[in-house]
Amino acid sequence: MECIITIDLGTNAVRVMAFDLKGNVIAATKGTYPTFHLEADYSEQDPEQIFITMLYVLKNFLTEKIHPQNYVVVSICFSASMHSLLMVDKSGIPMGNAITWADNRGKKEAQELKNSPLGKKLYESTGTPIHPMSPLVKVTWLARNDRERFSKTHKFLSIKSYVLQQLTSGYVLDYSLASATGFFNIQKLQWEQEALDYAGIDAERLPELVPVFHSPGKLRKEFQTSLGLRDTVKILVGSSDGCLATLGGGVWDEGKAIITVEDSGAVRTVGRDVIRDANQRLFNYVLTDNYYVSGGPTNNGGIIFEWYAKQFGDFRNPFDIEHTIQNLIHEAAEVSVGSQGLVFLPYLLGERAPIWNANARGTFFGINIKHEKQHFVRAVIEGIMYEMYSIGKTLQEHRTINSLTVNGSFASIPLCAKIIADLFRMPVSIGKNPDSIAQGAYLLAATDMGIFKSMDEAARTVVLSTTYSPNLSHHRSYQRYFSVFEKLSTRLNAEFEELADLQHEQP
Amino acid sequence: MNQFSLQQGMSRELESFPHVKEFALTKNTTIQLDSFIPSRANCLLIYCIVDGKFEWIVNGRDYILYPGDIAFVLPGQEIGGSRGFLEIGTIYRLHIDIGVASANRALGPWSTLSPCESLSIEKMLLVNNLSVLLKVKEGIEILHQIHAELVNPEIGHVTRVNHFIDSLLIIIARQSTRQADPRRDFPRTFMKLEQALRRDLSHQWSVEEMAALFGLGTTSFTEKVKHHTGFSPLNYLINIRISEAIKLLKRHDVNFTNIALDTGFYSSQHFSTTFKKLTGYTPGQFRKRNLLNDNS
Repeated sequence: MECIITIDLGTNAVRVMAFDLKGNVIAATKGTYPTFHLEADYSEQDPEQIFITMLYVLKNFLTEKIHPQNYVVVSICFSASMHSLLMVDKSGIPMGNAITWADNRGKKEAQELKNSPLGKKLYESTGTPIHPMSPLVKVTWLARNDRERFSKTHKFLSIKSYVLQQLTSGYVLDYSLASATGFFNIQKLQWEQEALDYAGIDAERLPELVPVFHSPGKLRKEFQTSLGLRDTVKILVGSSDGCLATLGGGVWDEGKAIITVEDSGAVRTVGRDVIRDANQRLFNYVLTDNYYVSGGPTNNGGIIFEWYAKQFGDFRNPFDIEHTIQNLIHEAAEVSVGSQGLVFLPYLLGERAPIWNANARGTFFGINIKHEKQHFVRAVIEGIMYEMYSIGKTLQEHRTINSLTVNGSFASIPLCAKIIADLFRMPVSIGKNPDSIAQGAYLLAATDMGIFKSMDEAARTVVLSTTYSPNLSHHRSYQRYFSVFEKLSTRLNAEFEELADLQHEQP
Repeated sequence: MNQFSLQQGMSRELESFPHVKEFALTKNTTIQLDSFIPSRANCLLIYCIVDGKFEWIVNGRDYILYPGDIAFVLPGQEIGGSRGFLEIGTIYRLHIDIGVASANRALGPWSTLSPCESLSIEKMLLVNNLSVLLKVKEGIEILHQIHAELVNPEIGHVTRVNHFIDSLLIIIARQSTRQADPRRDFPRTFMKLEQALRRDLSHQWSVEEMAALFGLGTTSFTEKVKHHTGFSPLNYLINIRISEAIKLLKRHDVNFTNIALDTGFYSSQHFSTTFKKLTGYTPGQFRKRNLLNDNS
């Protein structure tokens, strides 16, 4: 029997899943790696630890789950989180840690570029919002603040490029991840000269651009031996987590959107053309030729509810957050729509789409003497969902959306899915495979093998299980609360700035 | 209860306890200037407040201590009154010579803690870096008991006193973990462990030592680590060891034996086998591959 393996190099963990050629999940596993915050704005990961964790997880997975069942691995398809940046010297040795999407050291550089005419132009040609997350901004930061490392850098890579180079040879980057670097012209599918010039590098110092179906070459002999894989196994460069989650959620036609909420979140659509948002609020990433994944990301997803649970939930057993969260969700479900007039802005981590304000902060608004703990719990959940809705509304200025798919551990909680259905007044489905990134990677590999004729056909095979219908009277109530939320989200800007200064002064 | 002061070498009561340098209950009724100037401890000092309110500097931080609170400092750390004197009130003082910590035994032969337990306690105290514990319920009670056994020695009192000292250390370690960590945020506590492992990668970590930092038993700890990371605690550690070894292999100047020992393998043989099993390369082949310009 043959099988396909998907490997996602995510923000906190590598996730490995195996599918048979009919698309059934055989098994799944994961291995985490840490994120280091050496300074307040820094967010880094060790490329060697990521590589070794991936290798270790994959080896155990094959030995325990795949080889004993006599599966033959025919294809391994990769995905990775976007915006990572790793510098290597001319021997290919990493110079320091990889910088993740959550790193904010380039705040100043981003602000400067965003407000310039060139910034607007680069946003239009590259599709990537000008933000500290963008490798374009990170390289610019490096050129100005760490001249030595900048000069010694032979290649500016993504984590995935590095991992693939270790496994095979040669530095490659797929169009999807490239389209999240800020250096890539999403219409011409090549490096954007103006972006390169701005950062002061030439294209030679970036990896080779390849389509998502590209194979960077054979798995090195040593790894074939240690993993017990044949030399015929095809390594597929694959795509980004965001693009694959969209494909794996079955969102491929006009009129559909997918809402993903894990720790962070995003609302995404697929279209044949690029969205040009005058306020630069939305991203456009390339999946394959002429298919663009457009949408907006939020920093403040399930991680905010988890924060609340850790601070205020009842822990019956040490570290038992699952149980604590379950109880809080139960409490929240008992409270009526709108949390009796309590509104929560979830911007504890600053915010990206749609307000793009790194200094925004969390706010409980409208507390009255009758509010009890359960109202706060529900308000936190509603606040996170209002934020998803506001991204969705921004997207609706450019695209028609008639139905929604949700995925990710937080958005898939029935209460959250219901709130989304009511807010958007649209039917909401949940995918059968909870890991839609892996599902998307499988569809990509299966299309590559000819199991599906096209990506369209592949996307149509995605099975959606549960569907939630909107409740009209809830929708009307939510609209009134959302109107308050939306106004508040930008009205406090001056105070957010003032408070950000104060918070920065704290040790 | 009356105040007392037992000193090693002067008080007969301590003859059988060479590790106890001093044990005293002080009822301070007048303030004497410079009676408690912050100074560096040369052994483990445990102070327990029985009565009164004290403002002290402990290990570089200011604290206000109330009855039931315990302040403790490890050798080399500082303790003293914020204004240089001892305030009015009643305190217990216990000075213990914990001796030179060795690989197999952190405490002296008087202790019945297993080498692993005492090492775990030492790690907990170092990692938590907390010097004041609030409202330690059993603290005063145990100190009373020690006193009672010392002044009224009956059969078995040596064992009992040493047991009480062990108990006190256990309680201090447990409470310091609970206080340092409300045991709600597993990822955050795991990050602390990760840092501790990296700081001391050559140490032969046991699961017990790691679990102690979480205030958990080994079964529950292992299960939670597996759930969080996908690895058992020891496999996670191997993961870090190999990752760090790879970084060293990519530098010319470190030899294999040093890499092996620095990253916590027993020997270069052990390192080589583990490395090859996972990566398919021997450390030598791996270094060669990466130091040649391998971008073809």
